[in-house]
Amino acid sequence: MSELEIELAPHAGEPLKPAKDRRRRTSRTSVFWLGLPLGVITFLVFVLPLTGLLPDGGQDLTATRLPPAFLDGGTWAHPLGTNKLGQDGLTQLVESGRLTIMIGLVGALVAIGPGTLLGLLAGYCRGWVDKTISILIDAQLALPFILIALAIIANRGSSLPVLFLVLALTGWASCARVTRSATLSIRERQFVLGLRAAGASEARIVFRHVLPNLAGTVVALATLQVGTAILVESALSFLGLGVVPPHSSWGSMLAAGQDELSHSWWIAFFPGLAITVLVLLVNLIGDALLTHNDPRKRRR
Amino acid sequence: MTELLTISGLSISARLADCDLRLLDDVDLAVRRGQIVGVVGESGSGKTTLARSVVGLLEKNVRVDGGSISLAGEQVVAPGVDLTAGVRGGQVGMVFQDASRSLNPLMKVRAHLAEVLHRHVPGIDKDEVRRRSVEVLEQMRITDTARVLDSYPHQLSGGLRQRVAIGLAVVTRPSLVIADECTTALDVTTQTKVVELFRTLVDELGIGLLFVTHDLMLASDLCDEIAVMSSGRVVEQGTALHVLESPEQDYTRRLLAAIPAWN
Repeated sequence: MSELEIELAPHAGEPLKPAKDRRRRTSRTSVFWLGLPLGVITFLVFVLPLTGLLPDGGQDLTATRLPPAFLDGGTWAHPLGTNKLGQDGLTQLVESGRLTIMIGLVGALVAIGPGTLLGLLAGYCRGWVDKTISILIDAQLALPFILIALAIIANRGSSLPVLFLVLALTGWASCARVTRSATLSIRERQFVLGLRAAGASEARIVFRHVLPNLAGTVVALATLQVGTAILVESALSFLGLGVVPPHSSWGSMLAAGQDELSHSWWIAFFPGLAITVLVLLVNLIGDALLTHNDPRKRRR
Repeated sequence: MTELLTISGLSISARLADCDLRLLDDVDLAVRRGQIVGVVGESGSGKTTLARSVVGLLEKNVRVDGGSISLAGEQVVAPGVDLTAGVRGGQVGMVFQDASRSLNPLMKVRAHLAEVLHRHVPGIDKDEVRRRSVEVLEQMRITDTARVLDSYPHQLSGGLRQRVAIGLAVVTRPSLVIADECTTALDVTTQTKVVELFRTLVDELGIGLLFVTHDLMLASDLCDEIAVMSSGRVVEQGTALHVLESPEQDYTRRLLAAIPAWN
C-alpha cells in the first residue's frame, strides 16, 4: 500500500499532462506532421529523376546483385545496391514510385467514387434501388477478385487503363456496402426529417447534408483503398498481370526480388519498405483527417 | 378570427405486412392565428402522426383514408391529395423533439439559417440573409447572436439549441408553427423559458401554434385550447381551463390523476 503511494506521489501534481499531449497530437498538427513525410516522398519521387543526381538506371551485367553501400562489398555509386540485371536500386525505386503513387491514388478514386455514389443512392432511396444495388454488391463480393482480374486481363491485355478497371471493379462493392449502411443510419437521424420539414429538396438533402456527414467514412475508406490498390497491383504484378516491363512499380520490384531473397535480400527489401511506409502514412493521415473533418471531435 | 389550420374528419392508417393499422380516426382540429392549440396524449396516441400529416412527413406505408387538412382555406391534404411540399418550411414551420439531433452537426447555425432562407425567399442576397438571421435570433431572445451564428450545434447548450431550432422554423415567417414534443428533452427551467418564448412569438408574430406534448401541465400552462388524444381519436377538446378543471372523459381524468403530486 505504501509502495503504491510512493509510486503515485511524483505524478499527483500533474494530472492534466496526458490530456494536453493528446490534444497536441490530434487534428491539424497531426495531419501536417503525417502529410510532411508523404509530401517529401511524393516530391522526391517526382523531382529527383529530373535533377540528374540519380545513378544511371540502365542494365550493367558487370555489377549485378551489388549490396547496398552500407554493407561489405557495396559502393556509393549504387547506394541501395543493384538487381540481377545490374540496374540501380535507388533509381528504380524512385522511378517506380511515380507509377505506384499514381496507381494508389487513381485506383482508390475509381473505386471510391462509384462505390460511394451507389451506396449513397441505395441507402437513401431504399426500395427497388436499394435491392438492385445490394444484389450487385453481393454478386461482386461473391466473385473472387483474382478471377475477375484474370478474366479482364486475359481479354484486354495488361495495361494501366485495364489495371484501373480491375481496381474499380474489385474495390467499389465493399465501399458501396459501407457507405450504404452509414447512409441508412444518417437518413434516420432527426435533422434529415427536419430538413424535409423545412422544405429542402431530396437531392439537396442527399448531397449537401448526408454526403458531408459521410465524409469521415469515405475518407477512411479512400485511404484504406489507396493501400489496397497498391497491394492489389503488387499481387497482380507478382502474377505477371499487373505492371509489366519496361514499366515497373514497387509491387513489380518486390515480385522480382522475391526469388533473390535468400542471397540478395535488398532487392525486395527496399520496395517492400517503401510500400509499407507509404501505406502506413496514408492510413494514418486518413485517421487524422477523420478527426479533423468532424467538428465535434476537433479541439480548439 | 380566421381559421388557419383546419383538420376535419382526418383518418390515417398504416399498411402493415398482414393488416391495416388505424393511426388517426376521424380527427377534427382547428388552429387560428394568434392561438396556441395543445395536443396531449400518451405515447402511441397519434399526436406525432397528426403533427406530421400536416407537413406530409408520414412514412411511405401510411395513407390518408378520409377527411382533409386545409391551410388558410386551401386544401393541402385529402385522400389521394398531397400538396404539403408547397407549404413545408415556408407557410408551415416545424420544431422537433431533440434539437441536438434536429440540426446538422457539421453545419454552423449561420449555414442552417442561410439554407432555409435561400430556399424560401427567392433572390435573397447575402446582406439580407445576415440581417434576417440576426433578427430571428434576437426574436429568440438570444443576446450574443454573433457567437451563436458562428457555432456548431454541439457547442451550444440544450436550451440555446432549441431556440435556434425554433428560429429555423420561424425565420421564413410562416403562419403556422408545429412543435412536436419540442420541450421533452429539456430540463424544467429551460422548458419554462421555451414555453414563454412561444407565447411571446405567437403574440408578436400572430402565428398559430400547434403544440404537441405528453405533458398535460405544460400544455395547460401554454395553450389556449387543448385536444386530448387517445388511440388515434380526439377524446376531449376545449379550453385549457375547461379540460383541466372539469374533464368530461374518463381518459382525461386518468391522465390528470397520473400527474405526480407534491403531497
